[in-house]
Amino acid sequence: MIFPAEDVIVDSPRATPLYAAAASASEANIWTSVNGWSLARVFTSVEKEYHAAKNSAAIADLGALSRWAVRGREAAQFLSRITTAPAPRLGVGESACGLILDGDGGVLDLAEVSRLSDDLFLLTTPTSHARRLQLGARGVDALGEDICEAVAAIGVFGPRASEVLSAAGMKMPGEDVAASAVVRGVETAARPIQFGALPGVELIFPAADALTIWERLVRRGKAGPIGLDAMETLRIESGAPRPGVDFVAADHPGTTMRRTPAEIGLPHLAPLDRGWYNGRRGLRYVASRPERRLVTLSVDDERSMPGAAVFAGGKPVGRVTSCAWSPAIKRVVAFADVARPVGAKDYEIAVPAPGEGRVAAKLYETPESALAKAFREAQDAVSDRR
Amino acid sequence: MSDVQNKPGGGRIEGGIDAIVIGADAEGLTAAAYLGRAGYNTILLEAGVEIGGAVCARELSPGQNYVDGEHLISILDPAVIADLDLYRHGVSYAARCLDTAYFFEDGETLQLGGDLQMAAAAFDDEEAGPAFQKFIAEVFEAAAFCRPAFEAAAAPESDIEKVMRAAPRNLAARLNFFSLAPAQEVLDAYLPDGPLKTALLCEAGFRSAAAPHEPFSFMTLVRRWAGEVAGLQGACAYPQGGAVAVVTALRRAAQAAKVDIRAATGVASILIEQDHAAGVELEGGGQIRAPIIVAAGSARRVFMEMIGAATIDIGFQRAITAASPQLASGHLHLALKGVARDEKTRGHMSRRLVYAPPREALRRAFADARAGRVPSDLMIEAVFPDVLDEEIGGDGMQLLSAIAHPLPFDEAPDADRRAEIETAILANIEKFAPDIEDRIKARALRLASDIAQSTSAPAQDYAAPSSIIEQVALARVAGSAGYVSGLYFCGREARIGAGLSCAAGRMAAKAALFEVKRGGRAA
Repeated sequence: MIFPAEDVIVDSPRATPLYAAAASASEANIWTSVNGWSLARVFTSVEKEYHAAKNSAAIADLGALSRWAVRGREAAQFLSRITTAPAPRLGVGESACGLILDGDGGVLDLAEVSRLSDDLFLLTTPTSHARRLQLGARGVDALGEDICEAVAAIGVFGPRASEVLSAAGMKMPGEDVAASAVVRGVETAARPIQFGALPGVELIFPAADALTIWERLVRRGKAGPIGLDAMETLRIESGAPRPGVDFVAADHPGTTMRRTPAEIGLPHLAPLDRGWYNGRRGLRYVASRPERRLVTLSVDDERSMPGAAVFAGGKPVGRVTSCAWSPAIKRVVAFADVARPVGAKDYEIAVPAPGEGRVAAKLYETPESALAKAFREAQDAVSDRR
Repeated sequence: MSDVQNKPGGGRIEGGIDAIVIGADAEGLTAAAYLGRAGYNTILLEAGVEIGGAVCARELSPGQNYVDGEHLISILDPAVIADLDLYRHGVSYAARCLDTAYFFEDGETLQLGGDLQMAAAAFDDEEAGPAFQKFIAEVFEAAAFCRPAFEAAAAPESDIEKVMRAAPRNLAARLNFFSLAPAQEVLDAYLPDGPLKTALLCEAGFRSAAAPHEPFSFMTLVRRWAGEVAGLQGACAYPQGGAVAVVTALRRAAQAAKVDIRAATGVASILIEQDHAAGVELEGGGQIRAPIIVAAGSARRVFMEMIGAATIDIGFQRAITAASPQLASGHLHLALKGVARDEKTRGHMSRRLVYAPPREALRRAFADARAGRVPSDLMIEAVFPDVLDEEIGGDGMQLLSAIAHPLPFDEAPDADRRAEIETAILANIEKFAPDIEDRIKARALRLASDIAQSTSAPAQDYAAPSSIIEQVALARVAGSAGYVSGLYFCGREARIGAGLSCAAGRMAAKAALFEVKRGGRAA
C-alpha cells in the first residue's frame, strides 16, 4: 500500500502508536505528516534504508493509512460497490488490490481488501473515505468501522521479510494468505502485501501493544526501520503511482486532473468485465479514450524535480509528477504525466535553473507498467473479437 | 407483434419489443409517442389504472369536474406539439394568452396583458414604464437564449455552463447576474418600488422552493418566461378541456403511433445485463425484454427500487436522494353557488388572478413554511375554468381553481393540518374575492400527498422544485441514468421548472433514437 501525499499544512500532527519507537530509532530526526499523523522521513540515511529493504528486510510504520473493518451479511457486495477489488471472490485470508472510482470512472484512490472471515473484511486505503463508506452503506446490510485509532500496523519488506517474522515468532502459513498469531501474548494479524516490487507482510495488532511488537521485530528479527524517503524511491522504481502526487483524486475540489485507471497505468485494477463496482458504467464510456498516460522515466540528470516540463519530439507533452534518485540504477527515476497520443520512448525534461536547457529521459519499464501493457493488449484483443 | 415464450419460473417472457416506457404520465406518453412514431415497437407500462399521471379530471360535485395537477399551461414544449401533431390530436386553446390581474394587500390592483412585451410597451407609468420595457426585453432575450438548457439536461447542448459560455459578452454578464442573484436584487436593479415590482417578485417565487430573496431565485422567472405556449413567449394559456386535454392528445398521439399502452401493469425491476438495459420484470410475474427503456417515474423508485442500491453508483445515489423537500404548493378547487352572467364580470373572471403579498410578508411566508408552519400570507394563482372554457361549466355553479404557495411539505398531513391549510388559502382568496366562503358548495383540497396517492408515487415527487440551478444540476445527473446503456430517464428529477412541459420525455426519446442511430444499441 502506498502512502498518500504529505500534508501541506497541519497544525500538530498526531503520534502513531509506534511514534515513540520510531523517534528513538531516528538518528536523522526528519519528520513529516501524512493524513495528520507524524512519520519519519529518514531514520539513518536514505541509501542505507533503501539497500536494507532491497537486499535484506526493513520495517515501516504503516499507522498513517486509513483502515476499516467491514462487517455484515452483504459486506462483500458493499466492498464491491466501494472499490474495484473483487471482494466476493476472495477466500478467507486472501487479499486483493483495487481502486476507488467515482461515478464517471475517475480515480479517487487506491484500495486493498482482505477477507478475514466470511463476513469480516479489512479495507485499507491511503486516505480516509468515511463519507463515501457512509453513503455506500445505504441500502446494503454492511457496517464499516474506522479502526485507525484502535490498531497499529507495521510493514516488513524485503527478501528476508519471512525470516524476520519467523525470528520474531510469527509464521506465515502461505505466501498469499493472511494469518493470525499470538506474539508475546498480543493478538496479531499478518497479511501479505506488496510494496512496489518488494514482497512484504503487514502486521496489524492492538495499538496498546505497538511497542512490544516493534521491539521484538528489531531485536529478534534484526530488521531496521525505513523512512518515507527511501520508500518513495522504491515506489517510483516499481512504477506505483502515489495518490495526491502522481494523480489527484477525481473529486478533489477544482481539479483539472481527472484520471481514469488506464491513465494512471493501473487498468488491470478496474477491468470492465469484472462484477459490478462503483464507476464501472462511467468507465465504459471513457476507458476507450485515455487522454493522458503516467510513465516511469529514467533521467540523465540529478537536477530534475516535480513540476518540470517533459518534451517529446521537441514539443511539450506533460510534466514530472514525482522523482527520486535511484541508488540501484544510479539515475533519477521519475513519474511523468504525458499526453496519450505521444508513443515516444525518448523524452527530454527541462531542468529548473534558467538557461540550463533540457536533459534526456528514457521510458523505464517497471513490473507494474509491463502488467498494464499486457492487460491493455489482452483487453484490446477481446474487444477486437467482439 | 411481440413474441411470447414461457419462462421456466412460470411467468411469460415477451420479446420482439424495441422499447419499453415505464410510467404513463405526460412525459412518459411523450417519450412513447416519439418512439412509436420512429417505427419502434413500443410498450407503455403504467402501474396505476389511470393514464396521465397527476394531470387528470376528477369529480368535485355531481356533474362538476375539475382538472387535477395543473390548471394552466405555460412551459409546454412547442416542439412536442409540432412533432406529435397535438393540434390534430385534439389540443386547442380556450384562452391563448391570459391577461393577469394582480391584487395587493393594500387593495390596489394591477392588470397586465398576456403578451408581456406589449403590456410593457403600453405600461402607463412615466418612471416604471420604460424600466419595465427594458426589463422585459432583457429578461426575454436571456430566457430565449437559455431555452436549450431548460429542455432536459440529458442532452449535451443543454449544459447550462456551455450555453452561457456561448453567449455574447454583454448577454453573458447579464446571464451571470440573472442566474446567481436573488430575484429581489434583480428587480431592485431594474424597477422602481411599486406594485409592478411586488407582482413580479411574487411571480419569481411562485411554485419554487427558492424564496425571492435567496440566491438563484430569479431563474424561476427566467425559466417560466423561456416557455412559449401558443406561440407567444412568457404567456399562459388555458387549453380547451383543461390541461387534461393535453394529456389526452398525447395519449392519442401515442396510440396513433401504435404504442401498446398497458395500465395496471407495474414494473418490479429493470433487467440489466452487462451494464445494458435488457428489459423489465413485471410485478405480476413475467418479463418483457427490450433494448431501450425510458423511465418516467421518480428517480428513487426507478434507480433505488427497480435497479437496486447495491448496483448504482454512490454519487448518483446521493444526488437523487439528497434533499428532503421542505415546501410544496396546494391546489384548492371550489364549486361556487351562482354563475356570473354579465359580460363585464365575466371579463374580469377570464383573467389569471394573482394575489401578491408584500415583500416582507413573502419572506416571512417562506420562513414559516420551512419551519413547518402554515403561513398566513400566501401567493395565490386562481382561474375560473368554466369562464375560460364554457364547455365545462354547468349545473348553476361556478368553478374556481387556485394554487397557493408556499406551504409546508407534509408527507401525510392529518385532518387538522388540512383544515388549517384550507383556511389559510381561503383567507388569501378572500382578499380578492370577498365573501367567497359563503358561496362554496363543494371543495377539494389537493396537496402533494393527495396527488402522490393517486399516482402511487412518493409525496416528495410533488413537492415544490428547488431552484432552477439546482434542478439543472440534478437533471444532468439523473439524465445520465447512472450510465446504464439503453436506459433513459425523464422522471421528475430530469424536469426543469414547475408545470406541464413534456420536454424531458421528448429529450429522453431523442437520446434513445440518437444512440441507436449512432450504433450504440440496435433496436
